[in-house]
Amino acid sequence: MKKYIIKRIVSLIPLLLVVSFVIFMFIHLIPGDPARLLAGKDATIAEVEAAREAFGLNQPLIQQYISYLKTLLSGDLGYSIKSGAPVSGLIADRIIPTLGLTFFSIIWALVIGILLGIISAVFRDKWPDRVGMLTAVSGISLPNFWVGLVCIQLFSVHLGIFPSGGADDGWKSYILPSFALGAGIMAIIARFTRSSLVNTLKQDYIRTGRAKGLSGRAIIFGHALKNSLIPVITVAGLQFGFLLGGSVVVETVFSFPGLGRLLIDSIHFRDYPVIQSLILFFSVQFILVNLLVDILYSVFNPKIRYE
Amino acid sequence: MKKRLKLLLSMMIVLLFVAYGCSSNNVKGSEGSQNQSAAKEDNEIIVAIDQNFITLDPHEAGDTVSIFGIRSMYEGLVGFDEHMNIEPVLAESFEISEDAMEYVFTLKKGITFHDGEPFNAEAVKSNFDRIIDGELRAVRNLKYLDSIEVLDEYKIKFTLNQPFGPMINKFAMIPIASPKAIADKSVDIALNPVGTGQFEFDVWNQGDTLAVKKYVDYWGKADNNVEKVTFKPVPENGSRVAMLKTGEADFAYPVPQNSVKDLKDSEELVIEETPSTIARYVSINTFKEPFNDTKVRQAMNYAIDKEAFLQVVKSGYGNILDSTMSSEVQYYSKQDTYNFDLEKAKKLMEEAGYKDGFQAEIWGNNSSESNTGMQFIKQQLAQIGIDVEIKSMEEGTLSDEIYTPETPEDAKVQMWYVSWSPSSGDADGATRSIFHKDYFPPNGANTAYYDNDEVSEWIDAANNTADQDEQQKLYEKIQSTIYKDAPWLFLASDTILSGYKTNLEGVYVLPDGSISVTNANLK
Repeated sequence: MKKYIIKRIVSLIPLLLVVSFVIFMFIHLIPGDPARLLAGKDATIAEVEAAREAFGLNQPLIQQYISYLKTLLSGDLGYSIKSGAPVSGLIADRIIPTLGLTFFSIIWALVIGILLGIISAVFRDKWPDRVGMLTAVSGISLPNFWVGLVCIQLFSVHLGIFPSGGADDGWKSYILPSFALGAGIMAIIARFTRSSLVNTLKQDYIRTGRAKGLSGRAIIFGHALKNSLIPVITVAGLQFGFLLGGSVVVETVFSFPGLGRLLIDSIHFRDYPVIQSLILFFSVQFILVNLLVDILYSVFNPKIRYE
Repeated sequence: MKKRLKLLLSMMIVLLFVAYGCSSNNVKGSEGSQNQSAAKEDNEIIVAIDQNFITLDPHEAGDTVSIFGIRSMYEGLVGFDEHMNIEPVLAESFEISEDAMEYVFTLKKGITFHDGEPFNAEAVKSNFDRIIDGELRAVRNLKYLDSIEVLDEYKIKFTLNQPFGPMINKFAMIPIASPKAIADKSVDIALNPVGTGQFEFDVWNQGDTLAVKKYVDYWGKADNNVEKVTFKPVPENGSRVAMLKTGEADFAYPVPQNSVKDLKDSEELVIEETPSTIARYVSINTFKEPFNDTKVRQAMNYAIDKEAFLQVVKSGYGNILDSTMSSEVQYYSKQDTYNFDLEKAKKLMEEAGYKDGFQAEIWGNNSSESNTGMQFIKQQLAQIGIDVEIKSMEEGTLSDEIYTPETPEDAKVQMWYVSWSPSSGDADGATRSIFHKDYFPPNGANTAYYDNDEVSEWIDAANNTADQDEQQKLYEKIQSTIYKDAPWLFLASDTILSGYKTNLEGVYVLPDGSISVTNANLK
């Protein structure tokens, strides 16, 4: 197992090299010129050229990539074109809010989602199932910006319980955004849990369990649930990876200072160093989360082993 | 049945357990982020704005938001009043030589920077040296500056290498920072601003809030009671409005047009309408057929119902653009507008030989307001047979398409739905780079490729004199000539909408979209 994990982490390095190259080329190939955007609309050609030179944007792409790689390997993420601030600082400032939001969202989504899934599977085709699945379908269908705006209207404007945005009110400021963000994920998890559990409950060993007189609880929690969670973990892991990249929509609605907003602002401005670092960072996170998911598989199903 | 009940019960217990687990998690989270800091202090006001501050370096900022953030802490030799007229600030008075080549400032005495450094002519000079030596963004305002001479402790002379009338406006764009903070390279001045303003720097969370607090040794009159101002970027319109409603924000700008009605009903809020320096128009590429025919361009202007434009696109807010610049810009002179007249438009099209119209393309960014605007233009121009195709592009792509072509022949743009606002409220800024023949892209923003020798000469002539009457006369001629030539579809000048609580006074938005907090007072 240990060997396997180390192998996986080592294999990150060539993967990240490829990722960095692809990102670099792609974002430089999309139309738009940071020098022009930086210089402003009333800039003369000389001012634009000066800006281009200041950031080395006038050099050939390959050369730019090599110097980017050099600074990257020395552990430096470079400086933002837009603000001149070090990229590492920009990212560090926003990691905590995004991490907090991610954890709150995924935790409530997992708990409620799995519970809803269990209820629906146990009471299959009866009213609790209908209610559960209606909730789930609503969670998927309602766009999260809408959920967010409705929450603001209800809980901030009318009831005044939670702040309408920002991240400086402690845990209170995480409630509404993580609710809006987690709703869709909760729904997906509920549906996966239900279908997987329904399938498991049809298995022979469940019938055997019932035959030998095990209680319903023992069957569900002792045998069926554990075996049904593999697909749920897969989905939850994927969603978790996405969430770590920050949610542009929810962060915008709640004026949340997270990574998603940083990314979208940087893309609008063609702030190459920030975009590159962010995407590289997201890739690392995603790969690590996937590794974690793979390890969790073997925890829930000891039959799965890694050499 | 009994079994099921048990199951349900056990599930509820799990739920409770988990909920407890979550809440204990939450407590942990709050410890880390000091939730008490958000509690508003008594004399603190919160100003909700729509964008992040990019930089607080007084000489590097180019965007409106950064500029007004900086102006809350910094002052210049001169500054803008509420209507963007120039008034002396750190200068006691100034004299401009007749040829507009020499500017002499007499400085106020007894002013100290936030770090205790005295304000004097040497301090001023060190700021200009920093800009020029470092080629910082503000150097654009000093294009024609030749030399700086300290005459005595409170007198400084600037000499230009060519006459430049609007130079005095440019001085308003240069905030003066403490010479000690400039010299100290170990502390980044962009992160630790030190000026002379009524408020001094408190804290800036990059990408989020900027807080400034009252400077106790402020030189000017400061009997207003606001101790702290926090600027909070809230990009989403609905959220900004909600903050105003809940009282989380004392002042919000911009207020979206469609929420004004709702907010006006509240007795605790005031909605302010301020005419802006923003001109909204469609530039027409006068280099391309059939747009090279003045009659065609005039016909297009007559075909557009500007009143309807204001209603449909701007929710009734704004004024018809009755010149090449907004009424808030220096030397504005009102022109006879192209009143909506389809008969006249059709007649002009016929005279130009385009009785059956033609096909055309309009470009714009992908914001929903631009889209509505372009749809409106398309529908209006269809009345005189012009079949307009709309191309919405993301801002960066659009900018590439517009500014990359090296010559007018290469330019593909036909019509561009856009707006313009001069950065320092001066007529030169509202004219030169959009109408002067030397400023075709990529060297400027004359995307109409408007090529009129006379107009270009007048623009230059207005710079070559410090005589305000002379400048006024020249700009009158410039505006009337361009308006008649119709290189644009003249649409509207925007109205700025801001909202604030009734107990707040002294915070306002200037016509260029910057917020002034220096007189903030709570009743």
